[in-house]
Amino acid sequence: MKLEWLSVVRLRLRALWHRRRLERDLEEELRFHLAMRAERYQQAGMDTGAASQDARRDFGNFTAWKERCREMWTFYWLETLRQDLRYAARSLRKSPGFTVVAALTLALGIGSTTGIFSVVNAVILRPLPYPEPGRLVELWGNVKRASVERRGTSLPDYADWRDQSHSFEAMSWLEDAQFTLAGGDEPERVAGEYVAHPYFGMLGVRAALGRTFRPEEDEAPQRDRVVVLSDGLWKRRFGGDPGILGRAVQIDGQSFTVLGVMPPWFRGITDAAQLWEPVHMEGTAEDFANRGSVGPAVLGRLKAGVSLAQAQSEMDGICRRIEEAWPATNKGRGVELSPLDRELVGPDVRLSLAVLLVAVGFVLLIACTNVANLLLARSEARQREIAVRMALGAGRGRMLQQLTTESLLLAFVGAGTGILMARGGAGALMAASPITFPSFVRPGVDPAVLLFAVLITCLVGLALGIAPAVHVRSGNLGERFKQAASHAADSRGGSRFRSLLVVAEVALAMLLLVGAGLLMRSLQQLTGIHPGYDPDHVLVLSVSLPRATDDARTVVSARDILRRVAAAPSVEGASIGSDVPLTGESAIFYTAEGQPPVTAQNIPRAYIHAVSPGFFRTLRIRFVAGRTFAENETQDSNVAVVSENVVKRFWPGQDPVGKRIRRGRPDSKSPWMTIMGVVNEMKYRGLPNNPTADPDIFVPISERSRAFALLVRTPLDPASLTPSVRKILHDADRTTVVSNVATMQELMARETARSRFTGWLMAIFAGAALLLAAIGIYGVMAYSVSRRTQEIGIRVALGADRRDVLKLVVGRGMGLMGIGLGIAVAAAAGLTRLIGSLLYGVGPTDVWSFAAAGVGLALVALVACLMPAARACGIAPSVALRNE
Amino acid sequence: MGDKYGLRGDLVQGTLDMLVLKTLSRGAMHGYGIVESIQQSSDDILRVEEGALYPALHRLELRGLLAADWGMSENNRRAKYYRLTAVGRKYLAEEASNWARLSGAVSRVMQTA
Repeated sequence: MKLEWLSVVRLRLRALWHRRRLERDLEEELRFHLAMRAERYQQAGMDTGAASQDARRDFGNFTAWKERCREMWTFYWLETLRQDLRYAARSLRKSPGFTVVAALTLALGIGSTTGIFSVVNAVILRPLPYPEPGRLVELWGNVKRASVERRGTSLPDYADWRDQSHSFEAMSWLEDAQFTLAGGDEPERVAGEYVAHPYFGMLGVRAALGRTFRPEEDEAPQRDRVVVLSDGLWKRRFGGDPGILGRAVQIDGQSFTVLGVMPPWFRGITDAAQLWEPVHMEGTAEDFANRGSVGPAVLGRLKAGVSLAQAQSEMDGICRRIEEAWPATNKGRGVELSPLDRELVGPDVRLSLAVLLVAVGFVLLIACTNVANLLLARSEARQREIAVRMALGAGRGRMLQQLTTESLLLAFVGAGTGILMARGGAGALMAASPITFPSFVRPGVDPAVLLFAVLITCLVGLALGIAPAVHVRSGNLGERFKQAASHAADSRGGSRFRSLLVVAEVALAMLLLVGAGLLMRSLQQLTGIHPGYDPDHVLVLSVSLPRATDDARTVVSARDILRRVAAAPSVEGASIGSDVPLTGESAIFYTAEGQPPVTAQNIPRAYIHAVSPGFFRTLRIRFVAGRTFAENETQDSNVAVVSENVVKRFWPGQDPVGKRIRRGRPDSKSPWMTIMGVVNEMKYRGLPNNPTADPDIFVPISERSRAFALLVRTPLDPASLTPSVRKILHDADRTTVVSNVATMQELMARETARSRFTGWLMAIFAGAALLLAAIGIYGVMAYSVSRRTQEIGIRVALGADRRDVLKLVVGRGMGLMGIGLGIAVAAAAGLTRLIGSLLYGVGPTDVWSFAAAGVGLALVALVACLMPAARACGIAPSVALRNE
Repeated sequence: MGDKYGLRGDLVQGTLDMLVLKTLSRGAMHGYGIVESIQQSSDDILRVEEGALYPALHRLELRGLLAADWGMSENNRRAKYYRLTAVGRKYLAEEASNWARLSGAVSRVMQTA
């Protein structure tokens, strides 16, 4: 008995295949019965006609019983669905104009929502392309200062973490670096990673060719110089030669043996690595033993079943022990475990995408209200049909089912088009995005996206079914017919429902407009930011000069380069610095002469940049006091230029020139440096704000510097200067490597990429919302005017003038708009707080954004109301009264 | 239908099922035969609205309690013959004993009252 339902389904499925035979058999079986009964009556003496009539009477309603039997054999709901679908398709085909407009509106809504979801899915929901990515974490050393700040760790700390912990399957140092690859025609700067041997295993990747590192190969001191290449580098630089294994390549002037080549998809955690070297490859034994030097984060793979919290608490214990054993370097230092996926896609991007998804969802809702309005108008026109069908015995539920089927069909037609749009759109969106997403992020229509699309389509279809349902009221039959017949007045349920639609539409559009307004205002603030230097007309290049080799060849110096570039035509000024603006991160502790005692929490820290004397002029940085370095002042002259905050902290109100600071903690033995000049604070390390509030210290750059950033100021478009500067550099020495060429404006734009991405998309969505809302309001008002033609005609006949008519129509529209606006403002005041962290320079309740959005929306709504109102004014009473 | 019981309405569905199964326990039969047989065995007291029998037959077939084959009737016409399956036989036995208990209980109540 248990499997009874199985037998039922099996037989029904069989019947589905043989439906024609089923039909025939059923008919034959029942006819046989009638014939037998009639025969029996005939035998009893009845004539043929009476016999068959009596047989039929005994049998009952032949068709009904046959129906009952057939229902039993078929999936009844499937059958009705088929009927309803056919009916819906027919009725949609009959009004192609409505169908096309409604389907396209839905396609836009569903398509853009699905498109954004596919980006969210690819960036946030889809796991990293490594086995069991949930167990991968990054371990950051942190340090407690005014607030807890994130740092990397040192090699000895890393070794302790690795050796003392039990929560991890493996742990690997992970340091990104730039390498100079020589040999061949042109030396080249390539990105790479220093990693420990378990790194590749943790990520579940093996060498496609050869092998990766063995344990003994990442030990200090290094015995052999070995390297693993990326597929891209191998193909590009070595022509994909399979004989590369065991061959020597020149990296940073040393000879390295190639151990293996990685598969094409693998570019390391930094997503840019072209080669990998073992940890301990660069540096001295002393460096390796120094707990004070801070390197990068560490990658770890948790053991199966170990939670992040468990691992964190174990690591906290280990860090406390290290802190006790090495107070001088490790006081206040801890560790922070963070899931790798959170690291690769930061909270800002996540929030941005979430906000965009909600925004596009609003657009979909507005699109839906427009279609609902169309459906409502349509069903009003069909009221008579509905009344007839219900009078003939169609149940209320059956009627609703049929109408819902129609709206579902419409939604799916829209969704089909929409998904195609989403497929193209998401790719285009990612390509046009100023945010660079990790390379493994590829949006597409995968099962999750498809499921999402189907789900929202069903929701949309069902929701749209509600619209015409207001006309499927049970109740007095005559009443229904009367209402269906009258064109005199807007039907009451329909009118209320339509008002609701307008209010909802206005509220949603207002929310989007406010959101977009806030984000655009932020963007405006961001682009208007004064970074403390003049970023226009500046070209930035990373330059790496060849090392002085043993042969007598005289190598070009940084000073030579600078002189040559400065002398070039259209160059207004040039300078060099130790780091590229907006990327450098070299913090030092420093000590001011005569400073009061400090604690670990407020020990002075600054970012140090070595620059040439022309640096301040090239970037047009303002001197508050003193001057820049003289040409003859070198790093041995012990002079410095500091930013204002150094002075404000230690010598407020005094002349800072001539005061002295030195590198290191208070007990440091490094020489005192004399302050020659003071410049304004600047955003040189990050936008819209420096990552930390520490000041900057500038010192003369070393004559022997081989790798530096070159900054060139020109009155022309800085990008146009690139070829000539490159030529000068190569003319100076053929083996000079130039990389990361960008204008200063481009560097700044990268910092604000996320804000622009979010802001512009939000603006597009808000624009779409505004347009859809305008169409919606216009539609509702126009419809209501057409329904009230007669009423208006009577009013005019009774003496109402144009003003009264105008007031009647516009008043209603604007009243609804006011309600929607009020609701939206109340909601927005709460909702915008959620995007507070995406804003810069404006509060979440910025009055201007709210006011602009409100006024803009009101104007658009007014125009949308005025057009139907103008038509209402043109109504002549005679025409209106004949209208019926 | 006078004082006769129409099977639709007055008798619960399960009862019709049981009567059909019982009738078929004597051998394969077509629908008309079943109606005739029930009427005769009940001395014409139980009269089925004849069409009602067929949904019941089809439902029992779907549930696997009955199997059906097409065969030739006594007057040489194609007819659908139903017979009990093993499952149907077991089901009938259960229902019959339930019925006996129930009707016994009812008549005991009626006698004491």
